[in-house]
Amino acid sequence: MLVLCITEAQQRLRRDDLSTSPQLFTPMSPYDVDLPIQTTEDVLFGSQFNQPKELPTDFSSVDLSFLPDITQDNKEQNLFEDGHEMQKELDGSTSNEDSSILTDESSLAYPDASQATEASGVCPPLTPMAPMTPVTPASESSGIVPQLQNIVSTVNLACKLDLKNIALRARNAEYNPKRFAAVIMRIREPRTTALIFSSGKMVCTGAKSEEQSRLAARKYARVVQKLGFPAKFLDFKIQNMVGSCDVRFPIRLEGLVLTHQQFSSYEPELFPGLIYRMVKPRIVLLIFVSGKVVLTGAKERSEIYEAFESIYPILKGFKKAS
Amino acid sequence: MGTICSLLYAKQELFASVYLSLQKELGLSVPALSLADLVKTHLNSFRLFQHTADVPAPFVENKEKVVARTMQIVELASETWLVTGRHPIPIVTAAAFLSWQSLQPAARLACTLARFCKLAGVDLPPPAHLRLKELLEILLRMASQLAWLRVFNMDKKTVVKHIGDLLQHRIFLLKNAFCPEDEEEQRAAALGEASPGSPGAAGGAAQGEGCLSGGKRRPLLPPCLINPRKRLRTAAPSASDSAVTGEEPISDSEIEQYLRGPEEIRAFRKAQAWL
Repeated sequence: MLVLCITEAQQRLRRDDLSTSPQLFTPMSPYDVDLPIQTTEDVLFGSQFNQPKELPTDFSSVDLSFLPDITQDNKEQNLFEDGHEMQKELDGSTSNEDSSILTDESSLAYPDASQATEASGVCPPLTPMAPMTPVTPASESSGIVPQLQNIVSTVNLACKLDLKNIALRARNAEYNPKRFAAVIMRIREPRTTALIFSSGKMVCTGAKSEEQSRLAARKYARVVQKLGFPAKFLDFKIQNMVGSCDVRFPIRLEGLVLTHQQFSSYEPELFPGLIYRMVKPRIVLLIFVSGKVVLTGAKERSEIYEAFESIYPILKGFKKAS
Repeated sequence: MGTICSLLYAKQELFASVYLSLQKELGLSVPALSLADLVKTHLNSFRLFQHTADVPAPFVENKEKVVARTMQIVELASETWLVTGRHPIPIVTAAAFLSWQSLQPAARLACTLARFCKLAGVDLPPPAHLRLKELLEILLRMASQLAWLRVFNMDKKTVVKHIGDLLQHRIFLLKNAFCPEDEEEQRAAALGEASPGSPGAAGGAAQGEGCLSGGKRRPLLPPCLINPRKRLRTAAPSASDSAVTGEEPISDSEIEQYLRGPEEIRAFRKAQAWL
């Protein structure tokens, strides 16, 4: 789990053009790695590192008095020490302003993993640094992390392409100009599909993470390059991210559409799920009676996590209603 | 919506998408579906409330009675998760059939749902059979909790005779026939957390008994959770997946596997010429 956190943190840092630091693995006290709520820490880091620009301005307004003193258990002390060691690594690559927050957050980022969702004494409310959604006092994080299922990205190869030529000389391409004006190309690793247009623009779909999408797009560009075109790799941009998760209890959609009418659309004759258009962040959620939730429309991973943390207390409110 | 589409000769998907986008663009707030109104309007089109040539005498029924009982059955369906996420009309049709049958079971038990719809001059929607089956299952479980019915071996035909009683005591019967929805989850969690050995087994057994007292009980959950269709769960991203940075070097051999060799191109060209 710590491995996951550190590697995630490293990726975020690299993307923000900060210097990378060597990975340091400090084995934590044994955790049950099979528990589904393993990556709560991932979310904490994700939400922090994705908003570095906002951090400096909002510290004054953030009330950190809820953070307890870490003194009691031996276990907690171990966690604290480990947190500090990791902290030293991160300090090298982030600004000092963040460090105090990081200490507190990182020491609290490793609550006893076996306590799933209910608040332990050490489990902090999951609030991003700049709370954009109302913070419910003493609210627990849901402990559920949405899994990314699909990433759609675009990139500009910046050269005109002869699609017939590409379809002839590439094994993994299909081209049916009567049906669609682009070549459909697929690669096996990462398992993705690309639409390549004659203008040189390309759409890449099917990846399960931002990094995989970027790698896949680069591979497609390389294929086009090897076919003899002067392909570049300009303006790579993630256009849409889709995530899904399961809240593990059935939901009264008829009740939800009544209480959240401005955001919800529930027409059982048209579609079995409720379409919830969240305003902040701007995400569309498909909520089903089984408790499965699909989140889409995000440009950043943190938007998906934030949207789910906002909807979870609302959905919990419909758990017992009958 | 089905009625409007048939009157306009419109395609349902087209109508649906136009309706939804209008709703979104104009910011319309449309009142939520009212099952009570739907029951009343749908039953208006049933032709079983008057004596006509093709409807046998024992099949004619008082409209108010049918409407009232259908309403109760639809409410029961709503409470037991049979309505959420489903098309409402097949539920109303199945409920109307059950309520009509139960008002004079002796004469009407032999009549099938298909025949009932034909006589009533109403379309039989395909999901109605499944909704009927689900309703009967709920009613059978409730019947198992009714003291004076426990002596009988109820099946889906005989339970219709007692729908009146079951509806009258439905609140009590629902509570007894089904365990609370999260009890199964608690039971699973307890079994999971209990240490292996006798303490765990005893704890699990005690919990299990709570759910199973007084005969078979199942949690009150939507059918999609009771009979989950086996789905391949894509594994959570492994550590190696997370290590992808997007900037890894790409080997030439990996890219070349996707390119055709010159002989292959010639062969492909020839094949294309034939097609």
